[in-house]
Amino acid sequence: MIQIDPAILSRVTKPARYTGNEWNSVRKSPESVEATFVLAFPDVYEVGLSNLGFKILYHILNQRPDVAVERAYAPWVDMEKEMRQAAIPLYAIESFRPIADFDAIGFTLQYEMSYSNILNMLDLAGIPVLSAERTDEHPLIIAGGPCAFNAEPLADFIDFFILGEAEEAIEDVADAVVAWKKAGKPQGRTGILEKVAAIDGVYVPAFYDVTYNNDGTLKAVTANNSAAKPTITKRVVKDLDKAPFPTNPVVPYLDIVHDRIMLELFRGCTRGCRFCQAGVIYRPVRERRPETLLKLAQELVDSTGYSEMSLTSLSSADYSCLHDTVRQLISRFKEQGVSVSLPSLRIDSFSIQLAREVQQVRKSGLTFAPEAGTQRMRDVINKGVTEQDLEEAVGSAFKAGWSTVKLYFMIGLPTETDEDVAGIAKLAYKVLDIYKNVKGRRGAKVTVSVSSFVPKPHTSFQWYGQNSVEEIERKQKLLRSLLRDRSISFNWHDAPISFLEAVFARGDRRTGKALLAAWRRGAKFDGWSEHFHYDVWMEAFKESGVDPHFYAERERPQDEVLPWDHLSAGVDKAFLAREYERALSGDLTVDCRRDHCSTCGVCQGLGVDVVDWGARV
Amino acid sequence: MAKFRLEITKGEEIRYISHLDYARSVERALRRAKLPVAYSEGFNPHMKMAFASALSVGVTSDAEYMDVELADEMSAETFVSRLKTQLPPGITLKRGKELIGRHAALMAVVNLATYHVSLPAAEDAGGAAQDAVSRFNEATGITYVKESPKGRREIDVKQYIAESVVVKETPGSLEIKVVIRITPTGSIKPVEVLEVLTREFGLPGRLDAVQINRTGLFVSDGEKRLTPLEVE
Repeated sequence: MIQIDPAILSRVTKPARYTGNEWNSVRKSPESVEATFVLAFPDVYEVGLSNLGFKILYHILNQRPDVAVERAYAPWVDMEKEMRQAAIPLYAIESFRPIADFDAIGFTLQYEMSYSNILNMLDLAGIPVLSAERTDEHPLIIAGGPCAFNAEPLADFIDFFILGEAEEAIEDVADAVVAWKKAGKPQGRTGILEKVAAIDGVYVPAFYDVTYNNDGTLKAVTANNSAAKPTITKRVVKDLDKAPFPTNPVVPYLDIVHDRIMLELFRGCTRGCRFCQAGVIYRPVRERRPETLLKLAQELVDSTGYSEMSLTSLSSADYSCLHDTVRQLISRFKEQGVSVSLPSLRIDSFSIQLAREVQQVRKSGLTFAPEAGTQRMRDVINKGVTEQDLEEAVGSAFKAGWSTVKLYFMIGLPTETDEDVAGIAKLAYKVLDIYKNVKGRRGAKVTVSVSSFVPKPHTSFQWYGQNSVEEIERKQKLLRSLLRDRSISFNWHDAPISFLEAVFARGDRRTGKALLAAWRRGAKFDGWSEHFHYDVWMEAFKESGVDPHFYAERERPQDEVLPWDHLSAGVDKAFLAREYERALSGDLTVDCRRDHCSTCGVCQGLGVDVVDWGARV
Repeated sequence: MAKFRLEITKGEEIRYISHLDYARSVERALRRAKLPVAYSEGFNPHMKMAFASALSVGVTSDAEYMDVELADEMSAETFVSRLKTQLPPGITLKRGKELIGRHAALMAVVNLATYHVSLPAAEDAGGAAQDAVSRFNEATGITYVKESPKGRREIDVKQYIAESVVVKETPGSLEIKVVIRITPTGSIKPVEVLEVLTREFGLPGRLDAVQINRTGLFVSDGEKRLTPLEVE
């Protein structure tokens, strides 16, 4: 067990990040189990502990009598420095044992800009960052989460990936590791990797060779081991209502990012926004029954003592039994001082009605995501929202007493013109006018938040060449010049970060060399603007001979082999290509949940169904 | 409506949490225990509970006090036994009693805090330590400069020192007892006293690794010390 000098803990910011002991945290002795796992989050404690996926996996693995799972987070830079100086390896915060002593470490890939932290955490743990350099003495390094759907940039560092929902896959992996250990670890690392390679949804990158064409594009990805499947298809939980959901999550002492109960209403979203990766990889929509939700909510309130409950999903307002469920939750928990909140609103008056009943939203103002400024642009991205929807929603919000509205947009979308960019400003002014019409005076506060579009794998825009940093900055400047009203505040994202994100979102194995070089030059916490150093990354690209523009800005032809073609989210590539074409001609595609099937291939291919309880009763 | 006064601890497990984190943890325990705590009126209701004195990050305590008001009647035994099962590691409920009639706020009555300080030091620090502490005890007009975002403030240290500081040498550390006054106009933190002792009086030891534990909070009339639970 690692003892940390109190002097270190008194010097660093938020020392409670490193001392554990939270309510509902599980401490098992390693001797009492067959295998030990670590869930490692490549960001700070407050971000990591907010992640719902890790809460679920912590629950599932710790329920097994033969497995113990603990947690580790990226120490903030001050603590990392202290740890390196005092030769303290990265440890798990339940037992304070070095994570290098565990059988397996699982990282979650929520965001490309956290990749450098993965390398840094491995190094801080005393584990070689390259898979090829690890021996039988080292833990297995696993990764999952949304970015695993293009695993290639991390192929040199991760022993195996789990694609898709891990509720069931993690049990299969745990079974395999336990059996392998009990058998005396036959054939060492290769032995266990061959075993897990047989599990559906598991991708062992070392079992595949990649060849390239002369122009730098991919030629082929071919298996080099008989245990390797030609295509790895994501795992998906067929019956979400019966899937395990943690009702005793760890309750932190520190104020974390999402410091509340997270009740997951449903998984998936089939609205079909063409830029959205989550909308593809979590298909199809599967709802929990309202009665299941009420039962889970009660258990969560009882076991956590939280005073707030957030109803989470990709688009919570689409839950078919939302209104009834919200009302029941509010009335049941009012006495216990627990409020209910919705993380996102749909742009319609139904959502405003709901928001009125859910008091929590009132404090922070309302947030809407029209995503684009003109109808033409919204049709391109298949955001089924009209100008009229927005006018009605904002109008009823102002009538109901709100005066602060936050609007989310993207720039750099396919076919975007300056007129579309200017449309964002027009919309913001329109919102101010609506307030004036409703209230007879000025007084609305509008926040316009504009991010830069990053094309993601497995979406209809996966072939699209991203706008250059210069072009994005020009569009940002244009918007800034148009948003001069004091009632409007304008936020935008750093264009260089979005550029980097695009490189790794659609990178191949060669981009991993640049990642390694950047980490060696000190890159870490790249998602935190104060720690993001563009020049470090550009030097790393140069050093490793990787052209970042080739990955971010190049429009791919439809017949090009993509680095993630062997990793399947269950959605046909032909469907995505069709959707890209429809986007370019501004044709809308309906939501299969409420309308006809758009033949994306998920249900037929994976043997799953859309589950919508409102539609069935 | 019942009102209870509780004596609880802040243990080693949660040494590094802030007072706000600590209060929130107790709140959550009260909610888990399904105790009918009274809430304030208004748009953002909060639990009617109050602590005697905030404790700094890095400081543990054997005796913190809090009052909590219920919206219902309940016996002290039931209240205490139900809350006990829901407290997180590091918080132990030692005692609790129902407050009958009107009581002044805890924060207004508590006026004395006792601390046990463990200061890592070299084996042979005894002589120098005793000497430093004696000179501190005899000195008058010691000022401590408090730098905060609000500005620079000079405070007279000795006005807050209720009793002579006592030091005892053990292998590897100095064990120090400090008794501090809490006044309506302010107080001094034990770590600030230690800063003065090491910096200005040459007390040997590693201040960066100091471990401070609050051993008690009292209502004192200058002669007799009562815990907030003994006060009538």
